[in-house]
Amino acid sequence: MSALRSTISSGIIRSTSPTHSLLPAASSFKPIKNPCLPQTHKLFTSNSNTFSPPKRGFTCKSQAIPSDNSAPEKVQELHVYELNERDRGSPAYLRLSQKSVNSLGDLVPFSNKIYRGDLEKRIGITSGICILIEHKPEMKGDRYEAIFSFYFGDYGHIAVQGPYLTYQDTYLAITGGSGIFEGVSGQVKLHQIVFPFKIFYTFYLKGIGELPEELLCKPVDPHPAVEAVPAAKACEPHATIANFTN
Amino acid sequence: MAASDKVQELHVYEMNERDRGSPAYLRLSQKPVNSLGDIVPFSNKIYRGDLEKRIGITAGMCILIEHKPELKGDRYEAIFSFYFGDYGHIAVQGPYLTYQDSYLAITGGSGIFEGVSGQVKLHQIVFPFKIFYTFYLKGIGELPEELLCKPVDPHPAVEAAPAAKACEPHAAIANFTN
Repeated sequence: MSALRSTISSGIIRSTSPTHSLLPAASSFKPIKNPCLPQTHKLFTSNSNTFSPPKRGFTCKSQAIPSDNSAPEKVQELHVYELNERDRGSPAYLRLSQKSVNSLGDLVPFSNKIYRGDLEKRIGITSGICILIEHKPEMKGDRYEAIFSFYFGDYGHIAVQGPYLTYQDTYLAITGGSGIFEGVSGQVKLHQIVFPFKIFYTFYLKGIGELPEELLCKPVDPHPAVEAVPAAKACEPHATIANFTN
Repeated sequence: MAASDKVQELHVYEMNERDRGSPAYLRLSQKPVNSLGDIVPFSNKIYRGDLEKRIGITAGMCILIEHKPELKGDRYEAIFSFYFGDYGHIAVQGPYLTYQDSYLAITGGSGIFEGVSGQVKLHQIVFPFKIFYTFYLKGIGELPEELLCKPVDPHPAVEAAPAAKACEPHAAIANFTN
């Protein structure tokens, strides 16, 4: 995976998912010979019939696609809502570029609350930083590089890094974790509901043991009016996980 | 157990000897108490767990997330690397709480640590000058003898052995990072 990641960071491929709209057009795609990858790697075979041209809108499969042809590793899905309830002093927009439009140089540390995907339990917080990369006037939004963690109380944390585009969904890399998430890998889909206050995440986790029942749920479908249930907002004991991060 | 699941422990002391201009507390929040917005780049020296060899440095930053007055401390999100001279480096990310121990995620590495995964326990001895780390490393080959040791038990008066502090050749790893 480390070899694939280094190729991704060179700007040639944006995502391991062939349906991601940031992939270059099929005609301009040059197969990359990487000795570290198996020759049958789907994304790097010039005659691959699994490569699909970019789509205009963002589409997403409900299950992550394995990145190589070895025995498929079990992928576990986890759903999380990140809600900015405006009571954590977040975000802190540091206009270090000293320019009037959002510009490279601006930094945005942040920390918001996270709830289980059915909005019935308070889990913890996110914490980290968004690095403004580029303002996109034609998209009426910005590209950030986001580096942050999700904290799951006594269960541990998941660290992520990747693109945050205020105008469309993205996938971030799962870089590691602690506690039950120790050794985790995979990716997480970021779906923005209301910029910048409500975000719905779908984690595709690999390399860890079975997730505890308490974290699994049938998620509430994202819509602009989503809120955590009152008991979870109030952090009543039955509506939180043990030692939820705060 | 698969070879790649084998967990190897590594012990490291991080010592701020106050000679690297670190930390640089950037009070970008412009508030009198530590607040979201403050950023703290830092770089300290690291020694092998028995304090007999200089290994290299840490380098990275802490993002202030929240001041915790009831705990008389702060929560940071820490993103940084440990540099092991010619051996390579280990990259980590996770919580730094000035009032209690925490586990950070090992996000990757280079050199002998290429492809590494796992977690590292951060144990603060004297805030913010002395920290003891225990790495739980997976997915890499056997660690070289030179990095393994019986660690000194953390206590407030720990210091590197004089030869290691002086970076004498026998008390430092090859091309220790500086």
